[in-house]
Amino acid sequence: MSDALEVQNIQVGYQNRSVIEDFSVTIPKNKITTIIGPNGCGKSTLIKTVSRILKAESGAIFLDGKAINTLDTREIAKKMAILPQTAESPGGLSVFELVSYGRFPYRKAMGSLSKEDYEHIHWAIDVTGLNEFKDRQISDMSGGQRQRAWIAMSLAQGTDTLVLDEPTTYLDLAHQLEILLLLKRLNEEENRTIVMVLHDLNLASRFSDYMIAMKDGDLITKGTPEEVMTKGHLRTLFNIEAEFQSCPYSGHPVFTSYHISKQEDSHG
Amino acid sequence: MMSQKTAGLIKRQKKAVFVGISLVVILIVLFVVSLNTGVMKIDPLTVIKTVFGQGEATDELLLFEFRLPRIVIAVLIGMGLAMSGAVLQGVVKNPLADPGIIGINAGAGLAITLFVTYFSTEVGGSVFLMPIVAFIGAGLTAVTIYAFSYKKDEGISPIRLILVGVAVAAGISALMIVLTLKIDPKTYDFVATWLAGSIWGSSWNFVFALLPWLIVLMPYVYFKAKVLDVMNLGDSTAVSLGMNLEKERRTLLAAAVGLAAASVSVSGGIGFVGLIAPHMTRRIVGEAYRYVLPISALIGGVLVLAADTIGRVILQPAEIPTGVVVAIIGAPYFLYLLAKLND
Amino acid sequence: MAKNATIESKAQVKAVKKTAKPIRGTIIIISGLVFLCFSFILSISLGAADINLSTIYNAFFNFDTGVTQHQIIRELRFPRIIGAALVGAAFSVAGALMQGMTRNPLADSGLLGLNAGAVMMLAISFSFFPGMPYVYTVLLSFFGAALGASIVYGVGSLSKNGLTPIRLVLAGAAVTALLTALSEGIALYFNVGQDMAFWYAGGVSSTKWEHLIVITPIVIIMIFIAMRISRSITILSLGEEVAVSLGERTVRTKLISILVIVVLAGLAVSVVGAVSFVGLIVPHLTRKIVGYDYRWIIPVSAVVGAVLVVVADLLARTLNAPFEIPIGALISLIGVPFFLYLARKGGKEL
Repeated sequence: MSDALEVQNIQVGYQNRSVIEDFSVTIPKNKITTIIGPNGCGKSTLIKTVSRILKAESGAIFLDGKAINTLDTREIAKKMAILPQTAESPGGLSVFELVSYGRFPYRKAMGSLSKEDYEHIHWAIDVTGLNEFKDRQISDMSGGQRQRAWIAMSLAQGTDTLVLDEPTTYLDLAHQLEILLLLKRLNEEENRTIVMVLHDLNLASRFSDYMIAMKDGDLITKGTPEEVMTKGHLRTLFNIEAEFQSCPYSGHPVFTSYHISKQEDSHG
Repeated sequence: MMSQKTAGLIKRQKKAVFVGISLVVILIVLFVVSLNTGVMKIDPLTVIKTVFGQGEATDELLLFEFRLPRIVIAVLIGMGLAMSGAVLQGVVKNPLADPGIIGINAGAGLAITLFVTYFSTEVGGSVFLMPIVAFIGAGLTAVTIYAFSYKKDEGISPIRLILVGVAVAAGISALMIVLTLKIDPKTYDFVATWLAGSIWGSSWNFVFALLPWLIVLMPYVYFKAKVLDVMNLGDSTAVSLGMNLEKERRTLLAAAVGLAAASVSVSGGIGFVGLIAPHMTRRIVGEAYRYVLPISALIGGVLVLAADTIGRVILQPAEIPTGVVVAIIGAPYFLYLLAKLND
Repeated sequence: MAKNATIESKAQVKAVKKTAKPIRGTIIIISGLVFLCFSFILSISLGAADINLSTIYNAFFNFDTGVTQHQIIRELRFPRIIGAALVGAAFSVAGALMQGMTRNPLADSGLLGLNAGAVMMLAISFSFFPGMPYVYTVLLSFFGAALGASIVYGVGSLSKNGLTPIRLVLAGAAVTALLTALSEGIALYFNVGQDMAFWYAGGVSSTKWEHLIVITPIVIIMIFIAMRISRSITILSLGEEVAVSLGERTVRTKLISILVIVVLAGLAVSVVGAVSFVGLIVPHLTRKIVGYDYRWIIPVSAVVGAVLVVVADLLARTLNAPFEIPIGALISLIGVPFFLYLARKGGKEL
């Protein structure tokens, strides 16, 4: 199993405070990897560093074996697509236009789209089930459709690796599942490497091949959902006592309910 | 294989072309009306005759040496300001950005005032230096505004940028008023005219001083249409799509400052054009910059030429400065936008 | 829920009371008044012709029409200084009321279009009714300020998200541009541009006793009313919902404050011209000293504002003597860095 991304001893921070210090982790190729952890654990900082919005003060990140700070930013964009958490959508864009910006890294001098560009765009719209909406304005669409349009834009980028920062935030239950099923399908049918941050631990467990758990900027544990989703790890990570069952759809561990670890905080 | 545009895209493209052609027609009509307008009445037939070289010498002088350059300048600065506004709005991601509102015009004005006061008593000899001087002043102002609105970690907050711009503009106007005490009455008149935004440079020299800037910067900016589109999607998306964000932002900002500075160096402080034109455009043809840029330029040209013509007609023989007319049209539109826009 | 809100807001009111600093306030008012007297004397004696203290004393108590210096003091310098003090107090109290009422740290009659409205009305009065008695000019000036205010607030309240600080400042900038353009048009048409230039730049040099007789009682009455409603303003400054849940009659309070604001701003403009930033700076400084209780903010702002404009006028006269620097420009040069500081300090909520 080769690695899609390798993070080596990075240190990242804001002003004088470092959020992540001497952090290393590897992300396997052609798998779905989920990063979990409590608020402020550094998972967003990690994603932002990988997507070169933040710069690591030291250490290095390797994409397919090459350090990203030595690569041209456009070359990276052809290998790894990133969907940020707060994607701003300008109102007057149609779905097609938004998706077409996924071809930005391949742009020619005058910026007109090539035949190949059109193929990628139409495929991305198709695979996300947005065909009938392609001339619809983004502002007229529901949250779930909008998120699919953004994912389609990332897909049009034609990369092997797709990084998503909380792709299910603000979506209701059915739409959350819809997005994750789509990502699963992309992973299975297209062999795409998927890396994402998720808040919902049960969804993370159900859909992941590999999980990375962080707290206070440190790596707590990593491995398969069975290895990561244990009573002991959730106690360390979130200070909770959870009761586990096996997910009927994936067989991965999911918890049914939970309690706060400290005895004095309990109630009934 | 579906390797073509969608029906929606084709429709939009057709619409943009149609709007563009209509605007060109309006511009031509306005051009003819404006040529016929002024204290000295010349009937349309004579105008046509003169244009084709059949007129009398006095008519020829009036039309070719006075009215025509002024019309050309009005159209050019309208285009420059509108494009500058469209680019600024994209770069700072704020639909209310305008070179006048955020103080870039004021910076250019201050530089020109200083230049006229200390280096050149007669404006005529240094026409070609004016856009450069204006660019330096506007550039310094832009850097100041940028520096004041930049916070580490938060980057540039668009709202702070506009607040800082409003304040810097107020400060520069105050400086200019103080400066006027030091200068002789003739220069004082110049400053007063400049502040009011009347198209004071109206000979062919000014056209030639302005033209190179627009010829270089307008295509450059159009060439960057896609970059502006992607900037619109937010910083993170732009970076992840392989854009060198800081570099693109700086060069585009410099281009916007250049367009505005060159324009106001001959027009004086005309505000609101850079705000209104792109806005109207977006309502008609959507967000894509390959349409926004040329259509706003046309609307800007129409707007300033119309304002200049109105300013010449309405209080004859007195002239209302173009900037005043534009403000009277533009400010209510701005207020309307302000009331309508969500943050 | 409602009960909870009330308890919460009562706690907030207590917090405000706790932060109020009456002793410091009293000290500031007294020392401010002393300083004001001092700057009065300084301001009377300094100028194009320096005058010594005994002459000043004699001008007031042994007035001699034959002495030119007595004439200068009584007819030129004294009215102008009183005018400066009144204008400073009026702008500051108007600014304090605006900031409290709208909970907007950037409110100022100059920035929000009131001054430009008053100036436009002055342009109209000079053009259409030259030689009109001063009282009517003042009245027109009120109408102008009210016009500016109602456009800005109208635009602000029409919008979905209401009156955010940024929206108000932008609306103010646009209304100012519009009304200034209109005044320029009017001035050009009627050839009163020369007269109007003075009002854009600002200055108190032409203040005469006949003006003071009109404005002094109005300013005093308005400040008195402002102090009467200061408690309600404090509660309003905690937020509309809190104020309502505390049983405050918010509409009444707002109407009274708007009236006071418009009268004070219009009056001040009719004396000094479109001077911005006084109403912005002074209440901010005052809050730093006396806390958030408007019972103290209003009187202290009045005194601090008076001192500020008297000193600014003194500087305007003496820095570049024998020429005068327009006082509006001078205050802007102080006000702009202050505004920048506020805009920078104010975090994401701005």
